[in-house]
Amino acid sequence: MREVLQARAVRLGESAATREEAITRCGQVLVEIGAVAQPYVAAMLERERSVSTYVGEGVAIPHGTSKEHVTRDAICVLRFPGGIDWDGENVVVCVGIAARGDGHVALLAELAEILLDPERARALREATDVDAVMKELT
Amino acid sequence: MVERTVAVASRTGLHARPAKLFVQEAQRLGVPVKVRVGSGKEVPATSMLGVLSLGAVRGTEVTLSAAGGPEGEAAVEALAALLARDLDASDG
Repeated sequence: MREVLQARAVRLGESAATREEAITRCGQVLVEIGAVAQPYVAAMLERERSVSTYVGEGVAIPHGTSKEHVTRDAICVLRFPGGIDWDGENVVVCVGIAARGDGHVALLAELAEILLDPERARALREATDVDAVMKELT
Repeated sequence: MVERTVAVASRTGLHARPAKLFVQEAQRLGVPVKVRVGSGKEVPATSMLGVLSLGAVRGTEVTLSAAGGPEGEAAVEALAALLARDLDASDG
């Protein structure tokens, strides 16, 4: 799973005024790390409009709908300490996903396990240390 | 006790959008249904995080279970039918 999440894709001090801004930030990070091409960002926004990617515990998992524009399986973890209004839910952590295959599924399952444990979920929402997030997720 | 095992048909497996549609349907049915993979832990079909934690990909065999009786059977039947469809291909 390590190659799917790189330390440089973990950003813990983000801010965004809206859900759209937050998703765009996730997309930009995926572009920066070479996982997706620019048009993927628009696909992420479109996907969000069709069904919310909020999963619970203050976490959303924005992603595009197709493999088009995806170079490799990768995720990014962005933390918005100020919170974002996500269609009525308060989101603090966004896990942006770029997927060509099933490489990210095990990591998502691991993320869900963490979030099912209230203490670990809280630790992730309050994380300020990239190494700690990496250790928790990989 | 009623059980049904079905292979996940959605291209992207049972997460993201297919998981959301599955969980929404389970919530709508309002009958307690549990989901597991093989002999793994059971999670409520109404829990998005629970369903995500299964890590089911396309082709993974998922077992649904509910208390016996017409309501349980109907719920398991409906959710099994949903899993057997490619939910990435449908609208909504």
